[in-house]
Amino acid sequence: MRLLRWESWCAIIAFLMTLAFVLFPGPYEMAIFTFLAQPLFAIAAASYLVKVFADLRTRKVV
Amino acid sequence: MNISYLQLVYLFGTIFCILGIVLCIRTARTRFGKLGDAPPVSLWITRLPAESAAKLTAFAALILMPAGAIFIANYHTFEGVHEVSGCASCHLMLPMANDLQDSNSGTLAARHFKNKWIAENQCYHCHSDYGFGGNLEAKMTGYRHLARYTTHTYKEPLMARVRFDNKNCLNCHQGTQKFEAVPSHHTAWARLVSNQMICLNCHGQAHPTSLQRTPGSPDYARLTEPLE
Repeated sequence: MRLLRWESWCAIIAFLMTLAFVLFPGPYEMAIFTFLAQPLFAIAAASYLVKVFADLRTRKVV
Repeated sequence: MNISYLQLVYLFGTIFCILGIVLCIRTARTRFGKLGDAPPVSLWITRLPAESAAKLTAFAALILMPAGAIFIANYHTFEGVHEVSGCASCHLMLPMANDLQDSNSGTLAARHFKNKWIAENQCYHCHSDYGFGGNLEAKMTGYRHLARYTTHTYKEPLMARVRFDNKNCLNCHQGTQKFEAVPSHHTAWARLVSNQMICLNCHGQAHPTSLQRTPGSPDYARLTEPLE
């Protein structure tokens, strides 16, 4: 499987935003979690799944 | 021991986020192609080849932990808006929250609060059909409100776009002795149920008027003081 470096960093930033909202709830933290952290998680997960699928294809599993 | 939802959110939210960050750092530093010669990794009762362990770590870091964190944070969003302090965290709602807790106020909301007609989550009890507390469409509107509030693309005083549904009042009042004893409730029943007539027509202002909530008005500074 290829490296998952930028996906991991995306997820780390999103985790930090989520943690800020969980510990210090407020409208701005909520907006950052909703409009930035969730899409970052989704992008990281989508890219990860694409790489997993590509890896499985190279191994001729799918 | 009585554990509140907030304590659970703090606990599980922190666990998911911290664990997620640690696993992500590990995944970012992993070179998947060069793990063939690495020694097996011991996981509690079993030993896994290094490559399999790294792939499991990546799955947990990028799928499992984010799913957990997103679930907890969204639960926090939708549960937090039930509380008066949750509504009052946007300064636009402060006039309503301050007036609600003002024992000298005669508004319908303040009367419900000081007489303890609603024991807790007072905002949510009357406004459960729109914003983050409502159905899917209402939640989407809630997200639009959040976006407009945080980008300062709104104008004061805030005006409700939706018509208040009498069902919110009738949920508690319908069928009570006091309600049934009032003849006008029966004569106006069809119009009350169809929302052609709203309860406020007879029962007065629910919150401070838009004039009181206008910046520069004599009441504005008092009504927008941060909650204690």
